Order: sequence, then structure tokens, then C-alpha cells
Amino acid sequence: MTAPLSFDVHRPRALTEALDLLDEYGATARVIAGGTDLLPKLRNGRLSPEHLVSLGRVGELDGIEETGDGALVIGAATRLFDVQRHPLVRKRLPALHHACSVMATVQIRNMGTVAGNLANGSPCADTSAPLLVYGATLEVARRDGHREIPVGAFHKGPGSVDLASGELIVAIRVPPVPAGSGSAYQRISARSRVDMAAAGVAGLVTLDGDGRVAEARIGLSAVSPTPTRCPEAESLLTGQVPDAPLLERAAREAAEEAKPIDDVRATAAYRRHVVFVMANRVLTTCVARASAGAGGGTP
Amino acid sequence: MRGKASEPGGQKTLPVAKRVLELTVNGDRYEVAVEPWTSLAQVLRDELRLTGTKVGCNEGDCGACTVLVDGRSVSSCLYLAVEAEGRDVTTIEGLAETPDTLHPLQEAFIEHGGLQCGFCTGGMLMSSAFLLSHTPEPDEGEIRRGLSGNLCRCTGYNKIVESVDAAAKRLAADEGGTA
Amino acid sequence: MSTPPIIGARIPQLGAREKVTGQAVYTDDMKLPGMLYGAILRSPHAHARIKRIDTSKARALPGVKDVVTGDDTLKVAYGNWRLVPDIQDEYVLAVDKVRYVGDEVAAVCALDADTARRACELIEVEYEVLPAVFSVEEALAEGAPTIRAEKPGNLSLTREIEYGGVDEAFTRAEYVREDTFRVPTVSHAYLEPCSALAAPDEGGRVTLWTSTQTPYIVQVLLAKTLGLPENHVRVIKPQVGGGFGGKMELRTWEFCAAFMALRTGRPVKFTLTRADELAYGRRRHAMVLRSKIGLTRDGVILAKDLDVLLDSGGYNAMGATATFLVGNFGAMLYRIPAYRYLGRYVYTNNPPASAMRGFGAPQALFAGECQLNMVAEELGIDPIELRIRNAMQAGDSVPGVATARTCGFREALEKVRDASGWVEKRARKRPGKGIGVAGCSFISGGVFNWFDTKYHFTSCEVRVFEDGTAHLLTMASDIGQGSDTVLRQILAAELGIDIHKIRLTAGDTAVTPKADLGTWGSRVTLMAGNAVLDAARKIKEMLAGVLFMEYDLNQIHDVAFAGDRVFVRAKPKRGMDFGECVYKALRGRRGEPLTAFGYYTPRDKGLVTPAFSFGAQVIEVEVDEDTGVVSVEQVHTAHDSGVPINTMAVEGQLEGSIHMGLGYALSEELITVEGRVRNATFLDYRIPAAEDMPPSASYEIVTRDPEGPYGAKEAGEGLVSPTAPAIAEAIWDAVGVRSDTLPITPQRVLEGLGKL
Repeated sequence: MTAPLSFDVHRPRALTEALDLLDEYGATARVIAGGTDLLPKLRNGRLSPEHLVSLGRVGELDGIEETGDGALVIGAATRLFDVQRHPLVRKRLPALHHACSVMATVQIRNMGTVAGNLANGSPCADTSAPLLVYGATLEVARRDGHREIPVGAFHKGPGSVDLASGELIVAIRVPPVPAGSGSAYQRISARSRVDMAAAGVAGLVTLDGDGRVAEARIGLSAVSPTPTRCPEAESLLTGQVPDAPLLERAAREAAEEAKPIDDVRATAAYRRHVVFVMANRVLTTCVARASAGAGGGTP
Repeated sequence: MRGKASEPGGQKTLPVAKRVLELTVNGDRYEVAVEPWTSLAQVLRDELRLTGTKVGCNEGDCGACTVLVDGRSVSSCLYLAVEAEGRDVTTIEGLAETPDTLHPLQEAFIEHGGLQCGFCTGGMLMSSAFLLSHTPEPDEGEIRRGLSGNLCRCTGYNKIVESVDAAAKRLAADEGGTA
Repeated sequence: MSTPPIIGARIPQLGAREKVTGQAVYTDDMKLPGMLYGAILRSPHAHARIKRIDTSKARALPGVKDVVTGDDTLKVAYGNWRLVPDIQDEYVLAVDKVRYVGDEVAAVCALDADTARRACELIEVEYEVLPAVFSVEEALAEGAPTIRAEKPGNLSLTREIEYGGVDEAFTRAEYVREDTFRVPTVSHAYLEPCSALAAPDEGGRVTLWTSTQTPYIVQVLLAKTLGLPENHVRVIKPQVGGGFGGKMELRTWEFCAAFMALRTGRPVKFTLTRADELAYGRRRHAMVLRSKIGLTRDGVILAKDLDVLLDSGGYNAMGATATFLVGNFGAMLYRIPAYRYLGRYVYTNNPPASAMRGFGAPQALFAGECQLNMVAEELGIDPIELRIRNAMQAGDSVPGVATARTCGFREALEKVRDASGWVEKRARKRPGKGIGVAGCSFISGGVFNWFDTKYHFTSCEVRVFEDGTAHLLTMASDIGQGSDTVLRQILAAELGIDIHKIRLTAGDTAVTPKADLGTWGSRVTLMAGNAVLDAARKIKEMLAGVLFMEYDLNQIHDVAFAGDRVFVRAKPKRGMDFGECVYKALRGRRGEPLTAFGYYTPRDKGLVTPAFSFGAQVIEVEVDEDTGVVSVEQVHTAHDSGVPINTMAVEGQLEGSIHMGLGYALSEELITVEGRVRNATFLDYRIPAAEDMPPSASYEIVTRDPEGPYGAKEAGEGLVSPTAPAIAEAIWDAVGVRSDTLPITPQRVLEGLGKL
């Protein structure tokens, strides 16, 4: 049964104003960006804040900027659709580009944000695995300060994230990808091409001058209580020549590192199996892209 | 414009007052009093009586409620009406340029059988309009992906895809003709 | 006489402009002055006795105008099967017991929807929770709890069909196999959730606008449950956003809207949520089908024995029809000289299942067509060739049940074989790619009078005017399929006038002639179409006399109607405008309007239908052997729907059916655990999206059915059946995995491959 709603909505025009409101209302407030995850939670009573602080008019949080060091900073109010279509995202961050292209629906991508996708705390957030492998950090502000959180430390458990009351994600900072790297993302839904992911795998592989793996990163979503990296699989690859048998072994290791559950979307056994399959494919793509140079290109 | 209940100091804000919104829908300006949690779909349907916007799930999954806000397709059932203030909202009633004409998409949906029961049709058209706004000459895959957020249970989609394709080609031809 | 060009034309729906501009009005779009909003309190238990209901707190909530429970009602059991009162087992609001999670217990109406919902939560119900059963096997087991006192053992009904000496025939069979198939429960998933709005009328009468496929059935059952004369109840069908069988019974919200409108003197509206629909709404029956088939070594079917358990859920609903039709479709498509069917309809504490597109055929044909494909493999015969060897032909009968007077099944099989490149694709194995086939048949309306109507099965009225226009009044219900257009095509063809000159009034029980049983069983084109022909021909009789007078015609002449003119067929220049002819007839009748009623009731047509459609489908898939994901790449369909009246509408029906069959095959299932649906959102109950839908090529096999108007048969449901078995076969062809269970999820494919 739908829960009766009662909350106020505040629409600040500036970041400072938003932070003041969040500070003032503390634990009784939630941030609303796209609202696509929040509204269903409000309606079914899983959340019942008294205040929503909207980012809809905070223009300074909308947009993607390149910093001097080559990092891309994605403002918290930037729509997924704009991230998907941004030329630099497409060129440099093909895994994130792909995640933003296939997740949810066009309408949801026109409303939702990367920050919201993460702040929702769902282990199956599509953007989380790519951001993990890109080593992104969240820039979090509050009225009297700010801090940075690596994406990998942000999720605490299903629905739970490292964000205190009064705090706001203002941007996601994605550092420049290492030279000689390639990245990719794949997700699978067991039911339809338009669906929540039953499992998602992102990879980033950097090759050294000899064609060996200088560094490998593998990120998983929807197959653990939180989006997670696969340190064992990554270390298997490091320093090695990434031939097909090695990639397959690493993919198998990644599947072992997953901690999937059964739900209506897929069984744990299925999820673990497809983590292996996708990790293998993703790593193969990453190596191909890294070998092709220039950090990737479009998928 | 903030309502009384949200003035600083009003921490224990119950009950929350309705607030008066100025909305621009299909070029018309309206003033409506809404509760802050009211969805845009509800305001369009119940207050403005623009009932071409349908609610098929109220959860952002079916797309029947799709409208354009500042030219972008959104699920109006998940869009708070207060967030639409200061923005241009276009509903299916405003897709055609004038009341006595049809948008080429509307004509194509009729001609190619891109509708049956009609309940998804408004949302389907608004998503199609958004698609053509950023991809004027979509291929079949782009059309299908562009309609990812719109469910239809009657047509099997193929005649909808044909309709969008036909409209895109006609619009492109018209564009070419006038350029 | 040649067929008028408007028959078979690709005419867009005449109401399409209203639909594309957002002007078409559906029930929930309506708002009346003083209108109240309703909400329903449902049972949280699958099986419980109601010990006490206290509504006082709900009544006390400001804004609440009425609260009703079963005790306020007449407590009459009702159901669509009026012919057999024993299986009318439902109450508009629970009486003494609840039998599934979601069973309706009470209703509230209030000034706004939030208040109504809040009031529902304030209703206190004390339940004595009873043991419940959630599968047909459990329900039939010794000592299972009794769900309905009148049916100890939970067997709601059984149905048997037997002919040809089955046991003896099996002894002659050189090849016998037996398989068990399981199909899940799925949702109609029409886009428009159910909605009903009632307003009181003068003299204690009431008007109900409702999203229904069957205004007449709703009128009759509503009158019965309200205790009013039928004529006091007016049911109007506005635009309906799809039904697929899910909107063809009287439902609680329709009753409560009318009941509370009468009690409060104000309009009352109920609109369901998507969660209501998916968690508690009607659904297609889950079944367990055990099928045994015997053939000669060269593939001639000798006997079939089909045993089916149907999961009723907590109430019977349209169960008797389901149970019969599964048995009927089990015997269709092929010449089966000996056949035995036992269908058992079993109460459980799941949400009740009822009619859904294809009614009985998707289940029966998934089992039958999959099994035949397995037979083909084992006997080493091409599956299409095996089908052709056994295919029914025109004139064949299911003894004592039905006769197929026209049958394009063989032609359909040959067409999809040739059009798909079947022979070559089947022979040349490509990794991960496969191709499969299945056939289908369906009814063009039912002939069995389960509703026990005293009226004709369908009726219409045609009025013509001196301005050359006509008015068609029919109770037939367009729920999106386009029958409002098709019926006008038939009338336009008969009267020879422009279709745009025909006004249509439909689905209003106080205005349109009694009666019409509704939109189900693909009955509208054949049945309502025949009624239109009947009325139109009566009008033509009235008009023909004018020409005979005017031109002093020899008795042997015939009068033709075409091009908005009425003329002597042999001398076309002798004639006049249609309107002028009406004018002259009107003068001759001294002002009595020209109006005629038309009727159709199928008589002496067996137990099932006046006409069967047939079809065949070939589907190509690609299977990812690592992930188990199946991509359907191309569908080829050949369908004998007689003479299509509106080719574009027929294609739309076929493609819509394929969509539904695709979901049935690969993704759809209401996952129900202890009677609770776990995926009651469109996010988790996945119907195929545009990206999932394959390209589809369809071919009409035209037969001219003697019973259908202009030779038309059904088009709306037959094709919902072959898609799942054809996909199953294509998956086997691709990767060697057989599926006896739907949906064929990637998980099941990988299990079949031994990878999980």
C-alpha cells in the first residue's frame, strides 16, 4: 500500500544555499536530484524525510568539466543522458559511457544523475563498476567543509552509503586514465534488453611497453552487497602477458570474488557464472583497446 | 518560491502547506496550488485536465506518462511538479504546432498502425519526439533504443518503429526541401 | 459478386486522431462534480477466516464518506458461468473467508484518494489464519485444507473428452512418448490499469463507466449483486487501454463504485495501481500438462492422451472454459483418431487465474507442439514435414466438439517453410543459431452459452439518414484492437457508402441494442460483423424498393450499393445518391425512420466455435552459450484468418500476439511465493521492450470461411500460442537444450547446457 506523503521541497539556486538547507534540516532532509530512485522509496514508505533539497536549480552542479590535470569532473546534477553523450566521456571513459547508455530508460537517464545512482546505495548501480575501475572519487561538501571519498569506500552495504546528514555529493572526479590502458563495461540482464542489471563487470587494463599488464582493475556491480573490486583477479594479471588463458583464469578468479545472492532477477549461481563470462569478455576488450593505444575509444 | 512551511526556523514543519506554482505547459501559463509531493503527472491530469498524459505504473517503468521538460523526455509520474516551475513542459496535447494540425509523428502513427488501444501512444510519441530532437535520422536500432522506456502491450512495437522511421524520413525530406 | 475494395483495406483506426492527440477519454480521465475516490482493503493472508471487522476508526477519519464490507452486501455468489450456478463462487467483498492474498475485504470512499487509502489502513480485521496450499499437487493431496466448503478435496471441476479407442490405439503405436510440461502464471499487463466510475441516476438507478471488455456481462452481474433490475444499471465502456481477457468479469471495484455511489448519492471512482494489477489481478493459468502421444514409425499420429492440472487460485472465475479449451486445443491442428483428455481445475490459495489471450491454447500448444518437435527428432522426420503429414484439413472434425470448415494449416506450414529458408537453415548448422517451428489454431468466438444469455450473442442497430450518413449502434467492445473500425468497414461495404459517413455508438447498455457478450475469444469480427451484415441487408431491402418504384424495374433486377449510390446493378446509370434514396424511402414510410436491427447467434456449430483459424510460425534465434541469453532474430508467420477485413489491423494483432508469446517464452512469470507475487512491478515483471522485439514477416493464407462476414475468421489470439514452442525448438536446434518449462530463462538454458 502506498504511504501517505508529507514533505517540503526546497529549490535553492546556489550550492551554498543548498548546503545551508541541508545543514539546517539535518537528518530530516534528503537531497533530490533526478528523484527516480528517491520517489519510489518515499511512496512505499522506505524513506520519510520532512525536507527535500532539490539540485534542480543549482546550475553550478550541472555539467562536466576537464581540469588542468586531465581529470573529468562530473557535477552532481549532471543528467546521465548528458554524461552518456559527452564527447570526452565517450572518448576516454568508454566503460562509463556504456554504462550510462544501457542503464534504465531514456526518460530515467534524462532525469537521473551519476551522483544519485551512487547515493541510492544500490549494489546494482550501473555506474558504480566503471567508476571503481577509473578510480573516481566523490567530492562531498557540507556547510563548513568538504571531503573526498574514493568510490570504493562509499558503499557500506545495500542501501547504505558513507554520507552524513548535512552532506552533499557535489561532483564525481574521474582522474585521467593511465597511458596505454583500455577499459570496458558489460552488464547482463536475464530477462530483457531493458532491465536492471543482474550483473555488471567493468575492467581497466594498463599495458607496459613490453605488452605486459602494468595494472589491472576489475569492478563488479549487482553481485555483492556493495559494488566491489576483485583484488585477487587483478593481482593474477599484474606483470603478466595477457593471453587468453590468463584472462580466463583471472575472470574465473573474479567470479570467485563475487558474493551474489538469489533474487527475482537471477540466481546467485547464474550471477557468479556470468561474472566469469563477462569478466573474460571485458578483459579481452580492455587488452585489445589498450593495445590499440590511446586509452580506448568508443566501444 | 518557498512556502511558509519552509521558512528557516520551521524545522518541525507539519503540516506542509500547498504552494502556488506557475507552470508553462504547451506554451500556456497556469497557476496551480499543489502539495510539494504532487507529481507532474498528477498536476497535468487532475489540475490542468490534460489527460493525454497517462499513468500506467506510477513508478517510471512504463513510459505512458512521458512528457518533455525543457525539451527532454521525462517520466512525469516520477517528476515532482514543483521541479517543473520555470521550465517548459510539453505534453501530447501540445505536440502538434497548432490544434488543427498534426505533428508528422502523429500522422505517421495513424498511417502505419503505430497504435492500438492508445494508452501508451501519447508517451510513445513524446519519446519519439525527443529521439528525433537529438537524432533526426535514427536507424532502426536507435529507434528501438530510443523507445526503451515505453512499454506497449498491443502492437508488438514494430509498427511503432515503422511509424517513427517514416516520420523521421518525412521530416528530413521537409528539412531538405526548405533548406 | 466481387468483394468491395474496403474489405481487406489498410484503414487506420477511425479514432486514431483522438488517440495520438491525447483526446481519447479513458475511465480514469473522467472526473464528475462531487466525485469521491475509492480504495480497497485486501487480505494480507492467503487463507483465513474473518472473525470481526471494525470500521469505526475509518469512518471517523475526516473526509471519509462511506465504508463497506461484505456484511453490507447481499452476499450473493456470482460469476460469469451463470449456466452452472455451482461454479459461481465469488463475492464482491469477502464473506466469512478470504482465499488469496489480495482478496477484497472492504472498501472506502473519501474526498480524496490519500484519505481513502489511509482509511483502509484504519479498518481493523481480525483473522483466524488457516492453513493454505499453493500448488495443485498440494491442493489435491490427502488431508489438504479445504478452500471452499462445497468442494472438499479442492477439485473445482473436471472435464473429459474421449473418442476413438485410445488404449487400443496406443497398442498399435510403434512409437510412444510421454512428457510433462509446466507453464507459469503470467499477467495480461494491459497498459491501462482497471478503473471504474459510477454515478447515481434518478430513481435509484446507476451509471457505471468502466474499463471493460464486456459491458453487458458487467451490467447483468452488477444488477444481480446490487439487487436491482438489470434495466436500472447502465454500463458504459469508454476507451479501454487493452484487456487481453483480463477485463471480462464483474470486479469488486466496479461493484463498490456503483454500490457506494448509490449509498452516498455522489459519483465514486476507483482506479487500481500497477502493483494491484500484478499482485492481485487476473492472470493466465499455470498448468502442469502430461502428454502421451503414439505414432507409426513414419510419423502418423494414432493416439494422444492429455492430462492437465490447472491452478485455479482461490476462485473459479472462467475456470470451466479454461478446462474445456485446453482439452479442445490439445486435439486441434492434427488428425488425431484417438484422443483422451482429463482436465482438473484445482483450487489453491494463489490469486485467481482466468481468461487471457489464447485462453487454454498457449498452454496446450506449448505442450503439444514441443512434444511433436521431440517426436520429429526421434523419428528423424523434419518437424514441418511431420506436421504436414498429420495436418487437419477443411472438413475435419474433433468428434462431438467442432468442425473446421476452412483450414489453411498445411498452406501456412508450406509458406513459412519456404519464406524462411527453413530447409537450408535447418540443414546447415551454424554455431549458436537455431530455427524452430510451431503451429496454432484458435476459435472465432465461442458458441457455448456459459453466460446463459436469453438474448442474441450479438446485436446491432443501423440507422440511415437522408443526408447520406448512417449510424451504427453496437454493444461490441473495441478495447484497442480496432473493431469499431472493422465493423464500420463491413457496414460501409454493405451499404456502399463512405466509411467516414458512419457514426458509431458502442458499448452503452442503455443505448446499444441488447446484447453482446463482449470482446473475448476473438469473436467480434465474425459475430458482431455478421450482425452488422444482417442489419445492413434489412436496410438495403427497405431501400431497394425505392428503385423498383422509381424505375418500374422488372422483378429480375438486383439493386447495388456502391460509391454512395444506390443503382440497378445491370444498369448502373439508373440510380440515385444513397441519401436521396433514403429520403424517398422515408417519404414512402410517412416519416418512420429507417432503422434495422441485426443479430447473430451461432447455432448448430458444435461446442466450440463457428470457425477455426490456423497458423504456423518459424522463428530464428541466436543463443549465447556462455550467458544463456536468447536473442530472437526473425519471426516468420503465416496465418489463416479467413479473409482479412482490415489487413493493417490483422498485422497489428499478429505482431501483438508475437510480443506476448515472446514474453511467455523467455521472460514473463509472476513469481509467486506462498501466494504473494514477488515481482509486482513492471521493473521486475518484464514484458518485452521495443529492443527485444524481433523483425516479423507475416503472410496471410486466405481462406473464405462460409460463416464469417466476407469470409473473415479470427486474428487476435491464435498467434499468441506458437511463439513459445517455436522458440523452444529453435533453442534446441541452436544448442541442443530442450525446455519443458516456461519461461526459458538464461538460467534454464545454462542448466540445460550443464554449465550451472
